[in-house]
Amino acid sequence: MSLLLRRNSSQLRLLQRLGAATTAEVRRFVSRDSDNDSNNVTAAQSSTTTANTAGTTAGNKLQSTKRLNNLSAVADTDIKKSVFISQSHDIFTNLALEDWLYKNFDFGNHHVLLLWANDPCVVIGRHQNPFTEANVSRLMERGITLARRNSGGGAVYHDRGNLNCTFFTPRERYNRKYNLNIVTRALFREWAIKSEINERDDIVIKNKKISGTAAKLGRPNAYHHCTILASANKLHLGESLVKEPANYISRATASVPSPIRNLVDVNRNVNVPQLLSAVGYEYLRTAAMALEDGGSTQLMKQRGFQLVNPTERWFPGIEELRASYSSWDWVIGKTPKFSVEKELELKGDNSGMKLKLSVDVEAGLMSKIAIQLPQSDQMVPVVTPLQGKAYNEQNLNGIIDALKMVSTSNVQQAMNGSI
Amino acid sequence: MTTKMAINAKDIFRNQHRLIRFIEQSIRLCSNQSLKTAQQQQQKASTPDFEITASVNTQYTHAPEPIKHDKDLGHMFKASQMAVRLATPQQLQPKPDNDEELGFGKLFTDHMLKIYYHKSLGGWQKPEITPLENLVMHPAAKVLHYAVELFEGMKAYRGVDGKIRIFRPDMNMNRMNLAAQRSGLPTFEGKEFVQCLSRLLSIDSEWVPHTEAASLYIRPTLIGIDPTLGVASSDSALLYSILSPVGSYFKTGSNGAVSLLADPSYTRAWPGGVGNRKMGSNYAPTINVQKEAAARGLQQVLWLYGEDHQLTEVGTMNIFMFYVNDQGEQELITPPLNGLILPGITRDSILAMTRQWGKFKVREATFTMPMVSELLNQGRLLELFGTGTACVVSPINRINYLGQDLYIPTMEQEKPVHELIRETLTDIQYGKVDHPWSVVID
Repeated sequence: MSLLLRRNSSQLRLLQRLGAATTAEVRRFVSRDSDNDSNNVTAAQSSTTTANTAGTTAGNKLQSTKRLNNLSAVADTDIKKSVFISQSHDIFTNLALEDWLYKNFDFGNHHVLLLWANDPCVVIGRHQNPFTEANVSRLMERGITLARRNSGGGAVYHDRGNLNCTFFTPRERYNRKYNLNIVTRALFREWAIKSEINERDDIVIKNKKISGTAAKLGRPNAYHHCTILASANKLHLGESLVKEPANYISRATASVPSPIRNLVDVNRNVNVPQLLSAVGYEYLRTAAMALEDGGSTQLMKQRGFQLVNPTERWFPGIEELRASYSSWDWVIGKTPKFSVEKELELKGDNSGMKLKLSVDVEAGLMSKIAIQLPQSDQMVPVVTPLQGKAYNEQNLNGIIDALKMVSTSNVQQAMNGSI
Repeated sequence: MTTKMAINAKDIFRNQHRLIRFIEQSIRLCSNQSLKTAQQQQQKASTPDFEITASVNTQYTHAPEPIKHDKDLGHMFKASQMAVRLATPQQLQPKPDNDEELGFGKLFTDHMLKIYYHKSLGGWQKPEITPLENLVMHPAAKVLHYAVELFEGMKAYRGVDGKIRIFRPDMNMNRMNLAAQRSGLPTFEGKEFVQCLSRLLSIDSEWVPHTEAASLYIRPTLIGIDPTLGVASSDSALLYSILSPVGSYFKTGSNGAVSLLADPSYTRAWPGGVGNRKMGSNYAPTINVQKEAAARGLQQVLWLYGEDHQLTEVGTMNIFMFYVNDQGEQELITPPLNGLILPGITRDSILAMTRQWGKFKVREATFTMPMVSELLNQGRLLELFGTGTACVVSPINRINYLGQDLYIPTMEQEKPVHELIRETLTDIQYGKVDHPWSVVID
């Protein structure tokens, strides 16, 4: 037996090329993001014809239509549901677990709801700029982790009073409305709390948001995750999502700030363990594809709750995913190109002389630092060892402090010199 | 010549064959160092000299005989009538971080399967799956007094495609029913029980890690719970099953060979007894003997029987010997099912497989310690190993017999048969090859 514990897609491709496969060999199930690479091994093979089998390397288009036919052949009653509860409270581990399930699990007959809660952190969307969403340096000082998730959308603050729900299905059965209704029904059934789903797919109670949504659709799997604010620390939340005062010019996705409320403000009895139970049971007792409650008979047929321990021993390959999620290259480095501008007043006799500092940041590194002299349109590059270093608010303030030392007479000289 | 010198000479004389072999090997190693590595590489590159066939020739295996149920047994249970009570999130047990905390049978999953039998209520009751909980019984329950108990050992494997498989469950069911008949316990439909087990496995499937070589140990048990002291058949019984996660794959330590204590003063089984049934009462008396072996620095007990010291079993495993017979051909031999031997499923699978290979002679016959010593002296003993569900094959390298140490060259063979057997069986069990013996549940 090979020493490889897990065969990821690239290893499988390698094995294929080496001709290691015999006709009877069974392949590992592999999930891919929405790209139609014809070399992919995208389906599992087995001798019995179960509803979610498809041909192997017979061409992707044929595969996807075959899969669709096979998937639609699966009756609602064939689909069994599980609720996985993560044992970890580390944002990077949980993001890695979500990613692992998305990439490796077979959801054909088995829908999964993953419930997780994290220690205090700020999570930004895939295409967001962390510096426009929060003060990154201050987060680091206060021990609040910054993470970037793989799905789009805006920035959120997580702590143990916030429950995250990820609904996993095959791509064809992705249904956001269904998932959000599970949550609203659970809230009503458990505490008689009435809530609505607005047009942005937020769950609101009397116009204040208690849940935000984001999703990732790939092939063959998809997930939709949302938060539920049960008893989050609103003070810390407010303080964490404040950016450094400067003019950020960025094309990244901006968050849409909304007033939020905790469920505990609406009903004092709400707590996270009970919420976890309520949402889980509602998920299990509802039919898989239709929003119909099946009660205890439906519940009995499901696979129930399971604790999952997201370590390498149980999910081989997860350490690698975690390392990638916690790496600087992902969290900061994936920031789309942007520039920061700040106007500085100089010390000196002539008050009113303003210098405009402009920093261009690419992939998280300061690529260009320049100042615009007063009464001039020219941008003068600043020579500093900070060039090419990582951008953060501390470095920005460092440059500003250094520039503030410059007196107006120096500036006059420079201006006259340049003319 | 002093006594000391005499003793040393005696030792050398006694172990001369081992010494000769050792010297020969060292010479081989020294001179053919490069040659050996080249040979090894060649071995790996060449195609295996046997085929894992996707079918089993029925002439080499016997389908288990159907069980004859008692006329007044009553109602049979059906998997379709099963009731399920799922564990709440608060009742779930956290999964350990790594293998060191696992051991064997120390940790159990979240759910269990329970099926009651009450003759006064018509027979077998509805199966239920419940969270793992303690059993409550009357202090006069027969199992507590007369060991009216039998159990099974099976494994569920997560295959390379992520699906969960069990290996030849029909054999375990048959074995269980035979033992039930002997203990005055009610028999049952094996197929229905396997279906109930499949449901239990699907509920607790996350207890099997997603690595390629992970398994879950299944322990079905049948106990007599009749609350009366008479030594008679049980009118009430409980058939239940619990699951235990086992270490994911072999670490270098446990793959090593074991050393045995062969003491003819202890007997595990006798003709007319129940050595051939997997009943708890067979195991309690062995615990102290195992303790004695451990005290002498030996790992397992080799069970001997009779005046001629027949080898019967190793610890809780069956035993196989691979040697060169009187006709000069290689032969694999194991004791026959004469009533002293537990009919192991791994044992049966190995016999069927090796007979189908046809590469060497395969025989079921008794063999004795004097035979083993003689073969060892003539250098005709090649391998000695135990077989069982827990570790598939367990090579033996030393036997302490009547105060003497016999060194078995099991690990010194170039292409050991036991390794070949282990690889083939695990390939089937983990679904690397499609095989009717490995049943997919999920």
